[in-house]
Amino acid sequence: MLQVTGLSGGYPPVSVFRDVDLTVGEDEAVGLFGPNGHGKSTLLSTVAGLLDPWRGEIRFDGRRLNAPGDMPARLSRHVNYDLFRPRRMRARHAVRAGLIYVMQGNRLFPEMTVDEVLGIAPKAAMGRAGVGEMYDLAHDLFPVLRRRRRSKIRYLSGGERQMVSIAVALLAVPRLLILDEPTLGLAPRLRLELAEAVGRIREAGTPLVLVDQNIEFLTGLVDRLHLFVNGTIAAEIDRTERPSHESIMTLMFGGAAR
Amino acid sequence: MTFETFQFILASGLILGGLYALMAIGLSVVWTTLDVFNFAHGAFVALGAYIAWQVAQYGEGLWGFVFAAGVSVGLMFVLGFILHFCLIKPFEKRPNIVLLAVITTLAASVVIESLIQLVWGPREKQISPAVSGRIEVFGTGFVANDVVALAVALAALAALALFLRRTGTGRAMRAAAQNREAAEAMGFNVTVLYATALGIAAAAAALAGVFIGSLRFINPSFGADPLMKSLIVVIFGGVAKFTSPIYAAFILGVVEAFSIYFLGLYWSPAVLFGLMVVVLLVKPEGLFGHRRKTL
Ligand SMILES: Nc1ncnc2c1ncn2[C@@H]1O[C@H](COP(=O)(O)OP(=O)(O)OP(=O)(O)O)[C@@H](O)[C@H]1O
Ligand SMILES: [Mg+2]
Repeated sequence: MLQVTGLSGGYPPVSVFRDVDLTVGEDEAVGLFGPNGHGKSTLLSTVAGLLDPWRGEIRFDGRRLNAPGDMPARLSRHVNYDLFRPRRMRARHAVRAGLIYVMQGNRLFPEMTVDEVLGIAPKAAMGRAGVGEMYDLAHDLFPVLRRRRRSKIRYLSGGERQMVSIAVALLAVPRLLILDEPTLGLAPRLRLELAEAVGRIREAGTPLVLVDQNIEFLTGLVDRLHLFVNGTIAAEIDRTERPSHESIMTLMFGGAAR
Repeated sequence: MTFETFQFILASGLILGGLYALMAIGLSVVWTTLDVFNFAHGAFVALGAYIAWQVAQYGEGLWGFVFAAGVSVGLMFVLGFILHFCLIKPFEKRPNIVLLAVITTLAASVVIESLIQLVWGPREKQISPAVSGRIEVFGTGFVANDVVALAVALAALAALALFLRRTGTGRAMRAAAQNREAAEAMGFNVTVLYATALGIAAAAAALAGVFIGSLRFINPSFGADPLMKSLIVVIFGGVAKFTSPIYAAFILGVVEAFSIYFLGLYWSPAVLFGLMVVVLLVKPEGLFGHRRKTL
């Protein structure tokens, strides 16, 4: 379904990840696990088209989403007339294909109400059928959406905002859903609630790419787990071979962890 | 001062306020969405007035005026939409975009002014009013055209508010203004939404220009005054909400009308600026402002 090959990118001029290969099959959930600040979010933003890839290929359903060829070097620090430097990938093309990304710690739209935000979310479905079912699923998973429908986003708690973000993504009828640390910074009870919601989205048959700091939560949900260290995928672990804490630490930090 | 005079001054203040609100709303929509100040706004007002004047040469009376205003508003929307791609979009990613946009929009305003001068010449012109004569409102006689100007300004503001709050495109525009990245991730074409914001601003400016052109004489550089007034309105009122520049516009319009009556035309800008300075000293984010700016 999703095929990423040799992808490099970052925030020019700083390169963040290099030569990443990642595939997600139909009906598969893939986990990404790695230390803070090593570029997981940057990688996923690039895959979702929010950042321009530098090199490599992003294919979804066999269709290429990014412009072919490497990103050309800037002519000069002073020539930055964007009209002559078109984007190399656009988020709305990824969205149209059904690749939906839930940003880490999404602030959403502070001055809009929950209802207003959920009202414009189905636009991202771009005509895919199933908005109705997803609407029911979202409200079923997160009853709080209905309770707080008239609140502005900025009055929501972090957990509630996260729930709205996921609901917004569901209303886009994702064919592949990328969740970037959905449980980040939440209280344990909310964390459980969200983890359960993610599990149910998975059961509903949506392929997932999932990032989380909690390896127990990840291994419980995904079919394959990638260790992401220093801007590349260092190792791939199948769910059958549940890794020990020790081996992960060794993979992540080399010998230094011991 | 008799009650009649008071009523008269108040009414002319409200009419001024309506026009200021219409002008300022364009500036504040651009400021909240694109994060830049549009110094070509005054030139948009002027160009809108001149286009309407030109079209009004072909028709007379109310319908001539309506047609002229419609053509002017439509054309200015298209022009604003296109200008986004020339003035602001190319510099989007640069850290000094605010400064760059000041320069590009100032440049645009100079070019537009010169074009007006080139096409229509420096002589003063006036658009024939939508309606002539006087009408009676609450027992007082008013110039009918003034009342129409105020009513249309209010209707246009209400329509814009409804568009932003109720329609999908309007909500998407607000979303793109509040969090560009999240709006992109939801599949919106943020560039088009931003261009639409500039188009709407230009259209509102044109509508204000049409009415100014029917209330007084216009010349190619008359946009400077509306630009200054809308800047004062936006800074004075803040942009916490869609409505904050509107309230500010009416307050300033009334203050201006009274200060013209009591202190004379010469001193009224000083009064307005003084008022703005006082407000900024006490409440730096504007009279109705928050620290955050939104649509
Ligand atoms: N907007 C930005 N501009 C420049 N550099 C950035 C930006 N955002 C992140 N970075 C840098 O890119 C690197 C990777 O950050 P990223 O957020 O992708 O890491 P991460 O693996 O998602 O971390 P975490 O687990 O904390 O979410 C970091 O060194 C960070 O400082
Ligand atoms: Mg991250």
